[in-house]
Amino acid sequence: MKIVVIVRQTPDTEAKIKVASSGNSIDIEGIKWIVSPYDEFAIEEAIKIKEKLGTGEVILITMGPARCVEALRTGLAMGADSAIHIKDESFAFTDPYAIAKVIGQEIRGLGGFDLILTGKKMIDEETGQVGIHVAEDLGISHIAIVTKVELSSDKKKVTCQKEIEGGQVVAEVPLPALLTCEKGLNEPRYASLPGIMKAKKKPVKEVTPDNINVETLGLTKEALGQAGARFKVTKLEVPQVQRKLKVIKEAEVPEAAKELVKLLREEAKVI
Amino acid sequence: MSNEIWVVADLTIDGKVRKATFEGLSEARRKLAVKLGGQLCGVLLGSGVSGLASELGKYGAEKVYVIDNELLKDYTPEGYSIALSELIKKHEPHIVITGNTSIGQDYFPRVAARVGAGLTLDAIDLDLTDDKRLKVRRYMYSAKSIATVEFLDHKPMMTTIRPNVFKPEEASKNPEVINESIDIKPERILTKTVEVKRKESTRPELTEADRIVSGGRGMASGDNFYLIFDLADAIGAAAGASRAAVDSGFVPYEMQVGQTGKVVSPTLYIAIAISGSVQHYAGMGSSRVIVAINKDQDAPIFQKCDYGIVADLFQLVPALTEEFKKLLAQQ
Repeated sequence: MKIVVIVRQTPDTEAKIKVASSGNSIDIEGIKWIVSPYDEFAIEEAIKIKEKLGTGEVILITMGPARCVEALRTGLAMGADSAIHIKDESFAFTDPYAIAKVIGQEIRGLGGFDLILTGKKMIDEETGQVGIHVAEDLGISHIAIVTKVELSSDKKKVTCQKEIEGGQVVAEVPLPALLTCEKGLNEPRYASLPGIMKAKKKPVKEVTPDNINVETLGLTKEALGQAGARFKVTKLEVPQVQRKLKVIKEAEVPEAAKELVKLLREEAKVI
Repeated sequence: MSNEIWVVADLTIDGKVRKATFEGLSEARRKLAVKLGGQLCGVLLGSGVSGLASELGKYGAEKVYVIDNELLKDYTPEGYSIALSELIKKHEPHIVITGNTSIGQDYFPRVAARVGAGLTLDAIDLDLTDDKRLKVRRYMYSAKSIATVEFLDHKPMMTTIRPNVFKPEEASKNPEVINESIDIKPERILTKTVEVKRKESTRPELTEADRIVSGGRGMASGDNFYLIFDLADAIGAAAGASRAAVDSGFVPYEMQVGQTGKVVSPTLYIAIAISGSVQHYAGMGSSRVIVAINKDQDAPIFQKCDYGIVADLFQLVPALTEEFKKLLAQQ
């Protein structure tokens, strides 16, 4: 079974976000980069499926600047077999639709696949579009935001559980299919030291803009960067919410509770 | 190309129109319709849904397109994508909006790809540029930054909106109902819904709740969460939790609020025994009023709240629940 995992490198969840002098992107100085947390669930699930079947191949794919190879190495150290890095500095601003088109082309070039996994969203741009766009581009089914994955014994179908507002749904699709992964699906493993050593020798194929045939994808060269995106970020701000910061200290419990309820009623008017 | 603005209704498991739909209609009417000089329309996809058209009218829809098809009874990405993309190709609306719910996020990307539209997700503000391109504001890097995103020249322009951000406002219209039949071939629907399980809860959904009470690691056990539930029930709130409480196994993941959990924006958020990490704030930082209860006066949450009490939750929370009950009983 050939499993492809679409990975995104994002700033660490602890990272302090500062706006760059351009005013429409973040200042990446000093940022620690990680594998987008939901993509870690996807990598873990792919490796688990391979381990369970005792056979198979896990291929990671990412599109982004040179730094993103670190995210691929992390996944390879966890146990993926190989990786594809679609690499260029301008790719940091490519819109989700164009990213999906380019990733889709690389996946087509693999000569067949059974399953594509990715996170339910990328935690930098806060969108989960890329995976679903890839499924649409490849003409395959998808199930998004899954918390449980079960392959049929003939490996022709996959059944997944997903959380929805007010309940859960169990859905089934034929393979090949794409799944986007939610927290709760598994506990991603840490890379072991031997894993990290082995990862250094695993193949990472590099794809540069020259290797991308934009015309056959129905895109323009500009579409691979900000210039050809369908929308652009014109301004990025760090929200400054003014909070009242009224903290009641050293009060007796009943009085503190009374005081809070009074404030919520009379001052904040929310009760 | 028409000047229509479409709000596609989001339905609950039980086939009711979700609040996010009314919020979308209201905001589109206030911020987009007048400026665009366009007509506000509702769209209903499903089976046996035509009866819901008047509800969309109540919130300002002047026209409602209905695709009533047995194949749309259960949600499937294929069925919904085919129905909406064909409808868009036929009528060419200017802007298409739906709620950023599990369903909206699921098929809007497919529809956008099919009709060649740009799509932004989870908008918290809607506006138009002078030349009538859609301009939205949305969070990026969780709640740590807000991006203003302008569409370039692609039509239609599509977006999902964050539930619970825009104010629903009635604007009684008697909408013209247009029944459309779109040919959906059954063999194109590959997704099979095996089972739908309803959650038995009398509390509101976290993402739609007007009030939320959340517990953190300091709750010390899952059993102690009855304190959270009692307080939540006293004020009609949803119950949430921090990642630390979920990872400690106190409560299930579906209750998690934060960067890797649900993103919420209630009017009132009460954080109990939650230290207030960057990641938790990322999920609730857009709440209107934040209350913190923690016994550690140095907890970061006290720097990010409107009201706080430094106290032991096991004494304070029951007292607070009683105070709320007393107050609300007077009404």
